[in-house]
Amino acid sequence: MVRLLVIFIGFALTGITSAYENPISGHSEAAQSTKQHHDSVSVIRKMHPEFLNHKRDKTLRQGVRTDENSLKGCVNCHANKDEKTNTYHSVNEQDQFCSTCHQKVSVSVDCFSCHRTTPGASYKGVK
Amino acid sequence: MSKTLNRRDFIKTTTATTAGVATIASGITLTTFAANANENPVTKDKRWGMLIDTNKLTEANIDGMVSACQKEQGWGNEAHSTGDQKASWIKKLKVKDKATGKVTDLPLMCQHCEEPPCVDVCPTNASMKREDGIVLVDRHLCIGCRYCMMACPYDARSFVHEELTDQREHMPRGKGTVESCTLCVHKVDKGETPACVASVNSDAVIFGDLYDPKSNINQTLKKVQSAQIRADLDLNTGVRYSGI
Amino acid sequence: MNIRYEETQGRSLGFYALVAGLGVLILAALGAVYYMEHNGHHVTGMSNRIVWGMPHVFALFLIVAASGALNVASIASVFGKKLYKPLSRLSGLVSLALLAGGLMILVLDLGRPDRLIVAMTEYNFKSIFAWNIILYNGFFVIVAVYLWMMFERRMNNFTSKAGLAAFSWRLILTTGTGSIFGFLVARQAYDAVIMAPMFIIMSFAFGLAFFILILMASYKWTERPLGDAVVNRLGTLLGVFVAAVMYFVAVKHLGNLYLAENAGVENFILLDGGIYTQLFWYGQIILGGLIPMGLIYHPALRGNRSTLGLASVLVLVGGVIQLYIIIVGGQAYPMEMFPGKEVLEGYGGIAAYTPSLPEIVLGVGGIAVALIAVTFLVKFLPFLPESLADKVTDPHYKA
Repeated sequence: MVRLLVIFIGFALTGITSAYENPISGHSEAAQSTKQHHDSVSVIRKMHPEFLNHKRDKTLRQGVRTDENSLKGCVNCHANKDEKTNTYHSVNEQDQFCSTCHQKVSVSVDCFSCHRTTPGASYKGVK
Repeated sequence: MSKTLNRRDFIKTTTATTAGVATIASGITLTTFAANANENPVTKDKRWGMLIDTNKLTEANIDGMVSACQKEQGWGNEAHSTGDQKASWIKKLKVKDKATGKVTDLPLMCQHCEEPPCVDVCPTNASMKREDGIVLVDRHLCIGCRYCMMACPYDARSFVHEELTDQREHMPRGKGTVESCTLCVHKVDKGETPACVASVNSDAVIFGDLYDPKSNINQTLKKVQSAQIRADLDLNTGVRYSGI
Repeated sequence: MNIRYEETQGRSLGFYALVAGLGVLILAALGAVYYMEHNGHHVTGMSNRIVWGMPHVFALFLIVAASGALNVASIASVFGKKLYKPLSRLSGLVSLALLAGGLMILVLDLGRPDRLIVAMTEYNFKSIFAWNIILYNGFFVIVAVYLWMMFERRMNNFTSKAGLAAFSWRLILTTGTGSIFGFLVARQAYDAVIMAPMFIIMSFAFGLAFFILILMASYKWTERPLGDAVVNRLGTLLGVFVAAVMYFVAVKHLGNLYLAENAGVENFILLDGGIYTQLFWYGQIILGGLIPMGLIYHPALRGNRSTLGLASVLVLVGGVIQLYIIIVGGQAYPMEMFPGKEVLEGYGGIAAYTPSLPEIVLGVGGIAVALIAVTFLVKFLPFLPESLADKVTDPHYKA
C-alpha cells in the first residue's frame, strides 16, 4: 500500500517538475498586461482546477462576475497570437498554453468542449 | 507499519492543507469584495421578468428579437444539424383563435418559471434556477439526458447535436448538452437588458424586476390584462404576455 | 425431490457460434456509439422535438423486461409455488442481464456519456431519473444477494426473505420507470398515473417472454430434459399477462379519451396518426397481443413448444412496438400549448422521426449484451438444473 503511494507520488512529482522545466508559452500578452488576475504562478499552477471550479459555480449559480480566476481571463491573456496570420491559436491546441502541461500529465481538459478557446471580440487585444 | 503514526501524520497533513487552502480562500474573498459591481450573489429580493404586449409587437419586431438573440448568443448557424435539430432559443409563433379567427404573433422562449419542471426532473442539478428567478443549464453538470426537454411545456430547450467552435466568450455552448434562453444573464448582471428586449424600440416588450413596485414592469402589470402561457400548470412564469 | 444444478459445458461449436454472433452485434453497437458520439446526435433521427428515439425504446424495453424476468423467482420464494423453485436462479440471472443491457443503451445514448460519474455523484432528489439511478443500482445489489442466498446452502433459509425484498424492490423500480413518463405534466400523451401500473404489467409479460425463450433455448441446446409441466405452466401465465397488458392499454386510452384536452393525442394514436396508428393496431394489438394469446390458448396448439416460442417472440416484438408508440408517438404529437387556439406557425404539427441505423444497432447491441451475459454465466456458475423433467419438478407427478 505504502509502496504504491510512493510510486504514485513519484510519478506525480516527475510530472510537475518536468512541467516546470518547460517554459510555458503564452506569456507574451500576459506580460504586457498590467493587471494580474491571480496569485503567484506556483499557486495558480497547482490550484487552478479548484479555483476555476469554485469560480464557475459562483458565476453561474450566483451571478458573481469578477475578473478573479475567470476562465475568460486565462484565455484572453494566455492565448498566443500567430504573428503571420494575426490570428490567435486556441489555448488547447497542441503545445499551446493549456496543452503543454496537460499533455505531459495526461489530464484531459473538459473546459473547451463548450468554452471559447481564443479571446473574444470584446477583448481589446484582438486584431 | 504503525497505524497510530499514520493517522497522526494524516491529521497533521490535512490540518496543514486546510489551513493553506483557508488562507488562500480568504485571500480570494478579500480581493473579491474589493472589486466593483456584481461581486455579491444574487438574492431572492429580485425576480426578473418580461412583459410582452402582442398587440404592439409587429412580425418584424419578433423577427428582430430572434436575430438579436442569435447574434448575442451565437446560435442558429449550426452547420450539420437539420430541421428540428437546429438550436432554437426563441422563436416566432403564429396563433389563431379557434372561435374568432383572430391571429396573434408572439415570441416564445424559456418562460423562466418559478416552479420550473425542467429543474424538478434534472437528475444532476444541471437545470437550475438562480435566486433571482433566471432558469439556466449548468453545462458543467449536464450529462445530456434530455429529460428536461421532455418536461418543458414550452418547447423552449435545444440539444446541441454537433461539435461547435468559436462560441461567444460569455456563452459557452457545446455538443451533447442542453441549452435555452438565459434571459441574457451576462447582460442583466451588468445592469443591462436582454438583447431581444433591447432590439424592440418601443414599450412592446418590458424587462425588469417583477417584485420592485417602482419598476415599469411591476406598474404595467398592475394596470393591464396579462396572461401566462399554460397558466393551468401553475408554474408562475417570469415571462408574461398581454394581448393573447 | 432433489434439484441438482450444473454449469453448461460451453465447449460445443454451437456455443462458440452463439458467442461469436452476439459478439459481432456488440462490436457493431460500440461502433455505432463511437459514430454517434463523435459526430454528435445530428447523425441520428433524433431532434429537439423527438429527444428520445430508438435507443430509449430498446433501453426502457429491456429495463421493464428485466424487472419482470424476476417474477419467476418471486413466485417461488414469495408465493411458495414449488414448481417454479428450480427456475429461480435463472430468473435472477436473466433479470440482471437484461437490466445491464438496458442501462448500457441508456448511458451510451447520453449527450455526454463521459460524464457518467456526474450522474453517480450529483443527485437531485426531486428527479424521477435520479431515483431510478438509485433503484437500478439497488436492484443489482439486492438481486445479487438474493442469488447468493439461493446458491449458498447455509443461506437457503433466508431465500424467501431476500426474495420478498427483491420482489418489493422490483415493483418500486418499475413504478419508477413508468413514472418517468407519468409525471410529465407538459405532455398530453404521458401525464397519467396509470403509466406506473401499466409498466408493471408490461414488465410481467415482457420479462416472462424473455425467460421462456431463454429457458427453452438453453435446455434444447444443452440437451437437458425440460418437461411439459414447467413449460405449459409458464405458457399459460404468459397468456394471462398479455391479456392484462391489453386490459391496461384499453383503460389508459379510454380514460384519456374522457378528457377533452387529451382527445387530440388519442385520436392521433388510435385513428389518424399514420404510422403510429398502424403500429398500434397491427403491431401492438394484433401482432403483440391477439396472435400470441391465440397461439397460447388455442386447444390444438396447447403444449406445442414451437408455437409457445413464436408467441413469446411476438410478445417481445409487440413490446418494442408498444414502447415505440409510447415514447416516440407521445413526443411526435405536439404539446397543447394554447388551449382553444390553433398554432399556425413556429411550433406544432407532427414531429418527423426516422430511426437511423446506428440507433437501431445500439438497441440490438443492448439485447446482445444481455444474452451474452446469460450465455457465459450459465457456463461458469450452476444456474440451470441438470433436469427439469416432470418427475423432478412437478409435485403432483405420477409415473
